[in-house]
Amino acid sequence: MTADALASPGFAEPKADTEDRATRRARRRSQIVRLGSIGALIAVFAYFAIAAPGFAALGNLTNVVEQSTVLALLAFGMSIVILGGGADVIRGGIDLSLGANLGLCAAAYTVASNAGCSDIAAAAITLAVGTAVGSLNALAVVGLGVLPLLATLAVMNICAGAELVLTQNTVLTANSPLLSWIAGASWLALSVTDWVLVVTSVLLVLAVHGTRWGLRLQAVGAHTQAARAAGLGVRGYLAGTYVGAGLLTAIAAIVQAARLSGSSPGSGDILLSVVLTSLMSVVFSRRLLPSIGGTLLSVLFIGCLINGFQLLNVSSYWVNGVQGVLILFVVAVRSLSTRTGGG
Amino acid sequence: MSAAVARPRGPDLVRAVTPAALILLFIIFSVASPTFRTPGNLLHILVNNFTLPAIVALGMTLVVSTGGIDLSVGVSADIAAMVSVTLMSLGHGLATSLLAGLGGALLVGALDAVLVTGFGISPFLATLGVLFIGESVQQQATNGGTPIYLVSNYPEAGLDFLAHGTILGLPLPLWIVIAAVLLVQVLLTRTPFGRHVRAIGAEPRVARYSGVPVRRTSWLVYILSALLCGIAGLLLAATVKSYVPLSGNAFLLDAIGAVFVGTTISREAKPNVLGTLLGVFLFGMLHNGLLLIGWNFYWQQVAVGLLVFTVLGASFFSRRLQTSD
Amino acid sequence: MATEALALRDLVKTFGATRALDGANLVVERGTIHGLIGQNGAGKSTIIKILNGLYRADAGTIAIGGQISPSISPRVIERLGVHIIHQEALLPPSFTVAEALFLGAEPSHGPILAGRRMRRRAEEAIGAYFDLTLPRGALIGELSAAQRQIVQITRALLNKPRVLVFDEPTASLVRREANRLFGLIRRLRDEGTSIVYISHYLEEVRDLCERVTVLRNGRDVATVDPRVTPMADIVSLMINRGIDEMFPKQVVRPGKPALALRGLGRAGAYADIDLTLHEGEILGLTGLVGSGAKEVLQTVFGLTRADRGEIEIHGQSAAVPSPARAIARRLGLVPEDRRGQGVALDISVRENATLASLKDLTRFGLIDTRRERRQVDGLIARLGIKTPGPEARVRDLSGGNQQKVVLAKWLSAQSDIYILDEPTVAIDVAAKVEIYRLLGDLAKRGAAILILSSDLLELQGICDRILVMYRGRIVRQLGAHETTPEAILAAAAGAGLGPERVAA
Repeated sequence: MTADALASPGFAEPKADTEDRATRRARRRSQIVRLGSIGALIAVFAYFAIAAPGFAALGNLTNVVEQSTVLALLAFGMSIVILGGGADVIRGGIDLSLGANLGLCAAAYTVASNAGCSDIAAAAITLAVGTAVGSLNALAVVGLGVLPLLATLAVMNICAGAELVLTQNTVLTANSPLLSWIAGASWLALSVTDWVLVVTSVLLVLAVHGTRWGLRLQAVGAHTQAARAAGLGVRGYLAGTYVGAGLLTAIAAIVQAARLSGSSPGSGDILLSVVLTSLMSVVFSRRLLPSIGGTLLSVLFIGCLINGFQLLNVSSYWVNGVQGVLILFVVAVRSLSTRTGGG
Repeated sequence: MSAAVARPRGPDLVRAVTPAALILLFIIFSVASPTFRTPGNLLHILVNNFTLPAIVALGMTLVVSTGGIDLSVGVSADIAAMVSVTLMSLGHGLATSLLAGLGGALLVGALDAVLVTGFGISPFLATLGVLFIGESVQQQATNGGTPIYLVSNYPEAGLDFLAHGTILGLPLPLWIVIAAVLLVQVLLTRTPFGRHVRAIGAEPRVARYSGVPVRRTSWLVYILSALLCGIAGLLLAATVKSYVPLSGNAFLLDAIGAVFVGTTISREAKPNVLGTLLGVFLFGMLHNGLLLIGWNFYWQQVAVGLLVFTVLGASFFSRRLQTSD
Repeated sequence: MATEALALRDLVKTFGATRALDGANLVVERGTIHGLIGQNGAGKSTIIKILNGLYRADAGTIAIGGQISPSISPRVIERLGVHIIHQEALLPPSFTVAEALFLGAEPSHGPILAGRRMRRRAEEAIGAYFDLTLPRGALIGELSAAQRQIVQITRALLNKPRVLVFDEPTASLVRREANRLFGLIRRLRDEGTSIVYISHYLEEVRDLCERVTVLRNGRDVATVDPRVTPMADIVSLMINRGIDEMFPKQVVRPGKPALALRGLGRAGAYADIDLTLHEGEILGLTGLVGSGAKEVLQTVFGLTRADRGEIEIHGQSAAVPSPARAIARRLGLVPEDRRGQGVALDISVRENATLASLKDLTRFGLIDTRRERRQVDGLIARLGIKTPGPEARVRDLSGGNQQKVVLAKWLSAQSDIYILDEPTVAIDVAAKVEIYRLLGDLAKRGAAILILSSDLLELQGICDRILVMYRGRIVRQLGAHETTPEAILAAAAGAGLGPERVAA
């Protein structure tokens, strides 16, 4: 009996480079998925450019970007929550209160501004409200241990109700220099809204994918036990994601208030698109996880879709249906990739 | 038989949170408003704030018992209303229209079932997709959300009986709720189907390894939920004599809230019929009571949200304390 | 005391009614390779989890480098220089190799990650310790088990550990990779690191370790030098021969064939499996990880499909495409993962016990609860299940009683072919004896029993015949009473193999 015999329990001894071959095969498969998705994006874009009048005009495209800013900021927040909480849909990180929070913050700004607060004060109040909502989520999920799905659902109810209290379910108009500036001013051919998107995207890409804390946040979501073993404060990171999402929502609310010149009911509807875009983001990532860049691409994709439909005079009611089909498609793709990739 | 390790008393107290909240609120409202406690008002709560949400929540109880969730409950209700009202406005009879409406709801449930069991998509995402698609379909069909009103040439008497008729002094909708409660309770507690559902919800692999027909059970659960929601949708349409698109969405949050609030009274923190009913009644009482006290209607939603938040928080926190080593 | 790198003394850990550790000691001298061996359920994994901080010991002390540590957590233990190489790598699957290596200690310019520097250092480190390069930019999830282990070890080595604990490191390695690992371990020892080597491959332990501690029933029964102690003695210590009363086996005359496998094969798992199990017979099956034994069981119960061959149940050719079909043919599986596959912890004993036999208890669509209660009470009495009552949650029972609930399920379903996978792991001795008695009883009444076990004494004690599998094939058939644990082990390890296949 030799140690050699005992040390080789495998059924057939793979050759030396089979390991590398399996790895490369897995990588190639996920590469195909990613390239395919980007290809689909380009194809859709090309189709609209050809078929829809005025789609490819610069003015129209910057319009698309502007219209996507609010959704993008919320989707960034959702992606961060998913990254930190894990991608498992029932037990993992998710924040269903983002849409209602958006409405609440927009209402807060409008009411504060109309009540005579200066722009800075109104903005500060808005940011405070958004962060407070995020902290409530963090308290429930991290402090009390409630499932994120349920906790953020309850908070969503609270936000929706609070918004109704503030607005009495009516449209409120705000006249604020800050809002006018956001809506009207531009710099280097991009509007302030565009710049908000650009700056936020760059900062977040850097923060989430280029800093130590971003890496650690991803560890917390990807393998909580490993993160703990590495000495990371898991609860702090988790709480931070919800608070951060709330803050991003507040910023988005100010932008939205500028676009709508105030606040109007129904902001909560955006939630479905937020869930879709942060889910869709995974098909653009090698790691099959949401990423800031992937989320941005997904948001712009949806924006192009909606814009293209408008230009083609396709009923906007198809949009929801398309989004629903996209969700199912994305999920199917994801499960296909995980089955083939990795050991 | 020797005893196993004695379980601590603490978590049993949590089970009393929901009933306690119910009693507490009842007392507060009774004191604050003289009309609250009158039998007429209590009946009003039951009929207006309880029946329809209860039917939907019962369906949700079944789905959540298997470890899943159904975000498309509103869609089932709406599709049922849409189909039946459309048919009635075109002159068809009551029975045909109602049956067709239920058929529509069944289709939604079948779609959910196919996605979850056939394609293996997680229930949250699958039913979310159906929710999206359902909204789109409704918007398409009504050109942007215009309601369909029943004005003339429709079975008015039949609908009136459905919505307002009484049998033995109780409104018909309440009888339907009682029937639904009995059905779901018997299914869950006295039939093999119910055992299968509970096993799948507890540990799907154990269920499979024990020969439980997981696929068939999941199918039935989504179909049943859709049917119940369809009934709720039909009752709603009968009450308002119209079909208002996307009105079913209001059912969703209350149903989920009620089911999960209901789990707090169960020893194993599992969904159960009594708990769900208590949850629905809690919300209904809250809505009604706040209205009578004169609270702004919009504060009610905040109150409900805070209530759910508190109950869930207390429940999860105490279970976390219970299971820590 | 200063020569002790790691000293665990008098550790006690109880879970409910089971004593996983009962005064266990492990003392590792500095600069040595110290082995830890023991059968499944002897307490090895509990020790690891205590060292890891996952469990807290009920009693006993842990001293690292001579200093007693009052509290243990992953952070504390690593700061004190003890690193554990787990069986399941604690590496996020979506991370790149470099990211996984440096998580928590990332090279950076201020707040920004220094990606290139991280990648370069990763390549250098792996090259230095292992003399190879991993595929560029590979994600942890894309690597093979051996490669993941390399990353794991490198990550530990970057911290210059004083004590390195290996938990079953060669279970998924091939020969070449294992040899590479041994070379590294010896090199580390020469450089002064203390190594704890946990494995059930006894030959590896003998060739690597200077001392070995034998764990049995939660206690260390001996610490010997494997280089001079005969393997037979070590095996004896592990299984403590001499307790013959443990196995009240009655001799039963085997009846008709209940289960027959002919030429069964499944690519990558097993091949040419011929096996006949008779009524009243208890047949043992054993083999090391990768032998294919588990996979055969899974196919028989309908969890996987064979590519070739046939299954006959009670003389009739049978297709078993799912567990439900297997159960319909009166098979019952007692799985190894009791809590994930055998019983649903959060529902009652009664519901678990009747889960597979509801059809028989149903009348007009409703369950006859009175009959059910009577049957469950009867099962609880017959099997001796210690429970506060039939409504108790299975979670609250001890491991042995949980296993009895699984058996109750199949008894209730009137199964007559029982398949058991590692049935007595982590079950205390008294419960084990009861289960053996029950199995013997079942066999006497005509049931056919197939047991997969790595507990050699158990196999010898209760089986009539033992089949040994190696690398996907049945390589030996042994009469249970005419063989020795050493012979079984040797066969499982592939020693002395001739070209003959074995039909059993």
